[in-house]
Amino acid sequence: MPVQKEQNTLIWLGIIAITLLFIYLQDQWKWMAQYPKDMVIPLADWLSFGMDWVIQTTGWFFIGISWILEWPIKGVRWCLQILPWSVSVFLFVVVAYASSGLRLAIFTALACCYMLMIGYWVESLNTLSLVAISVPLAILCGFGFGVWGYFSKRAERVIMPMLDIFQTVPTFAYLLPILMLFGFGTVVGLIASVLYSFPPMVRNTIVGLRAVSSEVIESGLMAGATPSQLFWQVRVPSAWRQLLLGVNQATMASLSMVIIASIIGGTADIGWEVLTAIRKAQFGESLLAGLVIALMAMVIDRITAGLANRSDAYVLKETNFVARRRYWIIAFLGAVAFFGLAHGIDGLNTWPSYFEWNPAGILNDALTYVVVNYRSEIESIKTFAFFFVMLPTKIGLKGTVSPFTWGFSLTMVHKIAYVVLMLGLAFYLSRRWSVNAGIFVLLFAIFYYFGLTGLPWPTLLLIYSYGAYQVGGVRLGFGTLLGLGFIVITGIWSEAILSVYVCGIAVLISFALGSAIGIWAAHNETVSAVVRPINDTLQTMPLFVILIPFVMLFKIGDFTALLAIIAYAIVPAIRYSEHGLRNVPATVVEAAQMMGSTRSQLLWQVKIPLSLPIMMLGLNQTIMYGIAMLVIAALVGTNGLEQVVYIGLSDGNFGVGIIAGVSMAIIAIIIDRVTRAISAKRSLELGLAAP
Amino acid sequence: MLKISKLFGILATTFIMSSQSLFAGNVPESNDAIKLVMNDWTGQHVSTKIAGALLSKMGYNVEYVSAGAVPQHAGLAQGNLHFQAEVWTNNIGDLYPKFVENGDIVVLGQLGLEPREGWVYPPYMADKCPGLPSYQALYDCAQAFASASSFPNGRLITYPADWGTRSKDIVAGIELPFEAVAGGSEGAMIAELKSAYAAGDPILMMMWQPHWIFADLDLNWVEWNPVDGECVEESQAKDTACGFQQASVDKVVWGGFEGKWPAAHKMLSTYSMTNADQNAAILEIDNKGRDIDDVVSEWLANNESTWKGWIDAAMK
Repeated sequence: MPVQKEQNTLIWLGIIAITLLFIYLQDQWKWMAQYPKDMVIPLADWLSFGMDWVIQTTGWFFIGISWILEWPIKGVRWCLQILPWSVSVFLFVVVAYASSGLRLAIFTALACCYMLMIGYWVESLNTLSLVAISVPLAILCGFGFGVWGYFSKRAERVIMPMLDIFQTVPTFAYLLPILMLFGFGTVVGLIASVLYSFPPMVRNTIVGLRAVSSEVIESGLMAGATPSQLFWQVRVPSAWRQLLLGVNQATMASLSMVIIASIIGGTADIGWEVLTAIRKAQFGESLLAGLVIALMAMVIDRITAGLANRSDAYVLKETNFVARRRYWIIAFLGAVAFFGLAHGIDGLNTWPSYFEWNPAGILNDALTYVVVNYRSEIESIKTFAFFFVMLPTKIGLKGTVSPFTWGFSLTMVHKIAYVVLMLGLAFYLSRRWSVNAGIFVLLFAIFYYFGLTGLPWPTLLLIYSYGAYQVGGVRLGFGTLLGLGFIVITGIWSEAILSVYVCGIAVLISFALGSAIGIWAAHNETVSAVVRPINDTLQTMPLFVILIPFVMLFKIGDFTALLAIIAYAIVPAIRYSEHGLRNVPATVVEAAQMMGSTRSQLLWQVKIPLSLPIMMLGLNQTIMYGIAMLVIAALVGTNGLEQVVYIGLSDGNFGVGIIAGVSMAIIAIIIDRVTRAISAKRSLELGLAAP
Repeated sequence: MLKISKLFGILATTFIMSSQSLFAGNVPESNDAIKLVMNDWTGQHVSTKIAGALLSKMGYNVEYVSAGAVPQHAGLAQGNLHFQAEVWTNNIGDLYPKFVENGDIVVLGQLGLEPREGWVYPPYMADKCPGLPSYQALYDCAQAFASASSFPNGRLITYPADWGTRSKDIVAGIELPFEAVAGGSEGAMIAELKSAYAAGDPILMMMWQPHWIFADLDLNWVEWNPVDGECVEESQAKDTACGFQQASVDKVVWGGFEGKWPAAHKMLSTYSMTNADQNAAILEIDNKGRDIDDVVSEWLANNESTWKGWIDAAMK
C-alpha cells in the first residue's frame, strides 16, 4: 500500500517538525520543559490515606492469616534442622537421581558439600523452608486462577493484565503495604514471594489446558466421562507437562524473591547473610553466600525440570510394587541408616568445623589487587563511556561537548556539519534501505543532540505513542498515551526519563553484545558449553552480589548501575539468539549452501533474518530483566524511578513507592507489547508460526 | 539429645537463653520471650547482645530477631519486636515519629553513645589539600577531589537518597564547589571508600560514627566552625558554617513493654553504653574475627560493678 506508506512518512516528518518547534518553544513555555507542579494529581497522598484506612479497618483479618501461615514455616524449619546433615543430603541426592539421573545426583551432592563447607548450612535450610511453603501456595493459587481463566473469557481478561502488573512492579514497592498488613515476620517474605511467583503458574495452566487436543476431549466424552472426570482425568493429565513447567518457573521465581524479601528480616536465611555482607562491602563473603543461592536454584531447577520431562514416559509403568516404589524405599532405608550412623558418629550429625573453609579473604585480596593495579585502565574505560555515550544521551551533545570532555567546544561550524551529516545519512538510508530507517536516523540525531532530558515531555509522548500505534495499532498507541500520561500527571516524569536513560543504554549494549555472543555460541560448541554455566550463575545469583565489585572498580554512580544492569540483562540476549539460530530449519540452511552462499551471507541473509522473531523476544526479555535490575541498581546511587521506590519504602510512604513502582511497570508493559507486536509482524512476513 | 536442644536454639533465628535466675521475687513477670532487634551492623549487635545477656541474668527469656532498618519500626509498634538498643534519630523515615507520637513505640532515652556525623577523608588527602581539616580548605582544592563526571567541581559522596539530602543542602547553602553524589546504599559507600583507600584515590564522604570502618581505616573529619548549642543545618553561610546537627542514639521499646515486663523496663531505662566500649568490642569482632558472644561475656566479666548497679536498681 504505497499511499499509506507515504502518509506515514509525512506524519513522521510532521512529528519531527513539531519536536523541533517544541524544543524551540520550551524556553518560553516552562510547562513544556517540566510538567507544572501545581497540576500534579496528589494520587500518592490519596493512596497512602486509603492504605491507612484499610489497615485500621481490616488489619485484624490479615494479622490472623499471618498467624496461621507462621506455623507451617516453623514446622518445616524444625523438620529440616532436626535432621543431621547427612540424612538431608542423602535425601536431596536421591530426589535428584530419581528426577534426572546420576549427573544431577553428583552435582547435588557437590552443591550440598559446598554449603556445608562454607558454613552456611543452617541459613540455606531456612531459605529452603520458606521456599517449601511459598511454592505450594503459589502453585495452588496459580492453578486456581489458571483454571478460572481457562473456563471464563471474562476472568481471563481481568487476570492477564494483573499478572503483568505483579511481575513488573518492583517488589520493594509492595513490601511496605504487605508489612503493614501482615505484621513483621517471616510471613512478609512468604506473601511477597507468592505474589511474585504465582503468575507463571497461571500462564502455564492456561496454555496447558488450552493445548489439550479436541480428539482427546472427544474420546473422553465418548467414554462417558462426567465434567469433573473430564477435567481431572483427561484435561489435567494431558496438560501435565506444561503444568510442571509452571511449577518449575514458580519455584525459580519464588527463590529469587525470598532473597529480596529478606531485607525485611526475621528469617536468618541466606538472603540476610548476603545483605549483611553487602552492607559491609565484603565482596568475598557476599559472593560465596550468593553462590549458595545460585547452586540451590540450579539444583531445584534441574530437579523440577527433570520431573517435567520424565512425565512423558508415564506409559512404561512397572507393575511390580517394589520396582514402582524403589526410590521411596531407597530414600527411607538410607535415611534411617544415616540417622542411625549420625547418632554414633558426630561428624555426620553436625559438620566438623575443621572441614570448614572460607576463601572470602582471598577473593577480597584479589579484587583489591585489581583495583590498585589497574586503576588507570579502569578510569579510562569509564571516562570514555561517560563522555561519549552516557552524557550525550542524558544531556545531549549540546551540553556535553566542551574542551574538557571532547577537546573542543561546539561552534556553528560543528553544528552545521552535524545537521548536514545526519540529514545526508537519513536521505541515503531512506533511498537505499527504507524510509523508516531514515526517519529513525533523524529522530536519533535529535535525541543525541538535545539529550533525553532536554526534550519536552509532550514530544516524547507523541513520538512514543505514534510509534506504538504504527507497530501495534490503535489500541497499543492509545494505551501507550494513557500509560505515559499517568506518569506525567503524577509528577514523576523527569525521574522516569532518568530511568529510561540508564536502562535504555544498558539494554542496547546488552542486546548487541549478548546477540554477538549468542551467535558465536550457536556456531561453536565449546563457547556454548562455557557460556551456559556463566549464564545460569548470573541469572540465579542474588542481584545484589554483582554490585560490590562494580562499585569498587567504577565508583558510585550511573556507570556502575549501567554495568550491573548489563551483567544481568545480557543473559536472555545470549540465550535467545543462540536458541533462535540453532532452530533455523536445517533444510533452509542446506538450500542456501547449495546456492553457493558464503558463510557470512548465510549468517546475515538467511539465519539472522529467520531467527529475528525469536531474537526480538530475546530483546523483550532483555528489557524486562533490565527493568528488574534497575531497582537493585538504585543501591549504587541512581536518580530515577527506582530511587523513588526506595524513598517511598524508607519513608514508610506507601503512595509514593507504589506510584513509582506502577510507573516502572507501565514502561515495562508498553515496551513488552511493542516488541511483541514487532516480533509477531516479522513472523507473519516470514510466514513462520508465532514463536 | 544434644543435637535436638541445639537445634531448638537456632530455631527461627532465636537463641533462647535460659539461665538460672539470680534473683527471687516475681521476676520474670512473664515467661514470654522478649524479642530484641538485631540490625545488620556490629555495633548494634554488641549493644543488643549485652542488653540481652543482662535480661537473661534477671531471669527473662530473650530472643534475637534480625530486622531491617525500616521494617523494625512496624514490628516494634505491632508488638512483634520488643526492644531496639540503637535508633539513630537522623535516619528514621516517616513511620517512626508517628508510632512514637501515638505511643506504639516508647523511647527509653539515649543509649549513651556519642554519635558523630560529618565528612571524612583519608589522611593522604591532607597532602593534596593542605588546608584540611578545615572546611574552608575545600573551596580551594575542589579539583583535588574531582572526578571525570564532576570536574571541575569536587565529588562528595553523601548518604543514599532515601536517607535525606542534608549534605547536598549544605553544599548548596555554603556554595561549596562540590557535586553531591548520593551513595545509593551503605554497602556501596563502604565499597567506594575501601577501594579509594586501597588505590590512594581522592575521596570525600559523609559518614557516621561509631562505625566499624573507623576500626579498619584511618579517617579524618572535616572540621567546622564551633557553635554555641545546636548547629542549625538549614541556615549556614560560607564563613560561619557549622556543619551538621548531631544525632542522638535512642533506646526504644514496644508500647506495651512496661506493662508486661516492668523490671526489665527499669533496667533497660538505665542501661547505657559508651563509644569506647563499643569501638573496642567492634574491633575485636570485625578485625580480629572473634565470636560476638565471647566478646560480650568478656565485657560482662570486666564490668560487673556497672551492670550489677542497673540490675539491682531495677529489682528493688
